[in-house]
Amino acid sequence: MEFAESPEHELLRASVREVAAGFGHEYYVEKVRHGGTLDELWDALGDLGFFGVHLPEEHGGGGAGITELAIVCEEVAAQGCPLLLILVSAAICGELIGRFGTEEQKAQWLPGLARSEKMAFAITEPDAGSNSHRLSTTATRDGDVYRLRGTKTYISGVDEADRMLVVTRTGVDEATGHGLLSLFVVDTDAPGLTRTPIPTGIQSPETQFTLFFDDVEVPASHRLGDEDDGLRVVFYGLNPERITGAALSAGIGRYALDKASAYARERRVWDVPIGAHQGVAHPLAEAKIDLELSRLMIAKAAWAHDTDADRAVAGEAANMAKFAAADAGLACLDTAIQAHGGNGMASEYGLVDLWGLARLLRIAPVSREMILNYVAQRSLALPRSY
Amino acid sequence: MNVVVCVKQIPDPADPGALDPTTKTLKRDGKLILDESDSYGVEMALQLVTAAGGGEVTLVSMAPNGEVSGLRTALAMGAAKAILVSDDALAGSDALGTAKVLAKAIERVEGADLILTATESSDGYTGTVPEQVAGLLDLPSVTFAKHIEVDGSTVKVQRQTEAGYDDVECPLPAVVSVTAGVVEPRYPSFKGIMAAKSKPVDTLTVADLGLDASQVGWAGAGQEIVSIEEAPAREAGEVIEDDGTAFEKIVAYLDNLKVL
Repeated sequence: MEFAESPEHELLRASVREVAAGFGHEYYVEKVRHGGTLDELWDALGDLGFFGVHLPEEHGGGGAGITELAIVCEEVAAQGCPLLLILVSAAICGELIGRFGTEEQKAQWLPGLARSEKMAFAITEPDAGSNSHRLSTTATRDGDVYRLRGTKTYISGVDEADRMLVVTRTGVDEATGHGLLSLFVVDTDAPGLTRTPIPTGIQSPETQFTLFFDDVEVPASHRLGDEDDGLRVVFYGLNPERITGAALSAGIGRYALDKASAYARERRVWDVPIGAHQGVAHPLAEAKIDLELSRLMIAKAAWAHDTDADRAVAGEAANMAKFAAADAGLACLDTAIQAHGGNGMASEYGLVDLWGLARLLRIAPVSREMILNYVAQRSLALPRSY
Repeated sequence: MNVVVCVKQIPDPADPGALDPTTKTLKRDGKLILDESDSYGVEMALQLVTAAGGGEVTLVSMAPNGEVSGLRTALAMGAAKAILVSDDALAGSDALGTAKVLAKAIERVEGADLILTATESSDGYTGTVPEQVAGLLDLPSVTFAKHIEVDGSTVKVQRQTEAGYDDVECPLPAVVSVTAGVVEPRYPSFKGIMAAKSKPVDTLTVADLGLDASQVGWAGAGQEIVSIEEAPAREAGEVIEDDGTAFEKIVAYLDNLKVL
């Protein structure tokens, strides 16, 4: 068993860290306050190929895997600049097109994604939530095109992307009543598609949208994977999303603990730095332990996905990593805020503005409760209640 | 055009360094990284080779324990290959001993048109190695370059001075030391990082270079570190209360420092 990082992984971490540190949390917060996007940071990282590390080399990618993409995701977040769109654009869309795209589709979309282009991902619906079988957005074949009708909600970054990958229903499995799904790459400015921003309390530069598809015409050549085989395709993309989501949480946790430990080493209220008091030190140490445990599971999940040996192992590990890292990241941030006392609430200390995103990551991309269901049923063979 | 860049691998300046009380030298037994001051030379070399339309960048380094971490960073930036001299006999080398090793290693690079170095390392700060290397190789030396252009067999350098800069021209091959202002170093791309994996690092000993162990390390050192002391703690700054005339006191203070 080997836990030391390879020289390539160390160099990748260092390079991503240096690029992101050149922007830093203040840049991130400035964009949040003024409603801007993180294009400069995104482009700086994209130009160096960091969003395409896992994509095939023949289409401009780095030829590595989700292990490397998780490193990118974690290191950017560890500099106080968590990039939520890595999860959807690089992790889901990039991975799925690389895996299920035709040669034409790969040649068309992967070189852009391997650099700085973003692709949104639209699956969630107002009445479907975590139940993908109940998706009601339909795609109906009409000659060389499909027509999409329905509503999607909580779709991130549609305003920043030229295209998005949309999950639709193209049929019904008569035996189970479940929807048969198909995926399409849709232009975000397609006629018939409208979007409404959803105001949230999250201080993040990415905006969430509700999307209305009113007979949106999509060429049949933009269907990813076989018709009605979309559930298999979607499920393949969920592990990369969970793993990079976990890495995002872990990066936020590292950022918060770095801030807190630096503060607790310097800040003196009585004669010693506050970090000498166990009431301050122990919660930080405990958060650190949870954080490092979650990082181990992230590494295992990414390894299992990349080696593609056993899908069950990859699914279990990705879920556990996502659960553990989301909890650990939020705990690190909470403990860091507590260690700062009243300063923890001040914008100047760069912690409280990450609360909404760190909290969101306990809900999305998959909720804690659905992960507990998964582990209860798959890992412990317990009966399901739903 | 072929450019050699001398790069030093040093303890990470982000971690507090420590001196060995016995040898009175910096402890260098942990992981070492590329000295940031050398990243400018690497970048300059890469840009000169690109501008010339051909050739390659070769790194030359001397480091303990076969350390290659810093070399990997420079290879990931785009250098083609590296020569590392690593030998227990090199422990305790002074600046001249280091220069002898680097000069011998540079001689092994065929067709080197230009040798770039930093003005000084960020851990030793002697700032003498570049000129010593030039002396040993019997090459012209230009220091403190803030801009470099190569025109045929001539290198044109803007040499930073206290008052401004000198325009200097010098025939190639030559040794040029570069300041941090010469170019903005690139970050390694993912392709660069993966490509670095298969780039050759030729690891040599003192004997491989044809040097005698008595010429280098403690044995060959012409200098002796007599004693080391803790740096004095920083004194408290002067506090000026603003009673409406604080600016006069600040101007007087700065004037006294001769920075105005």
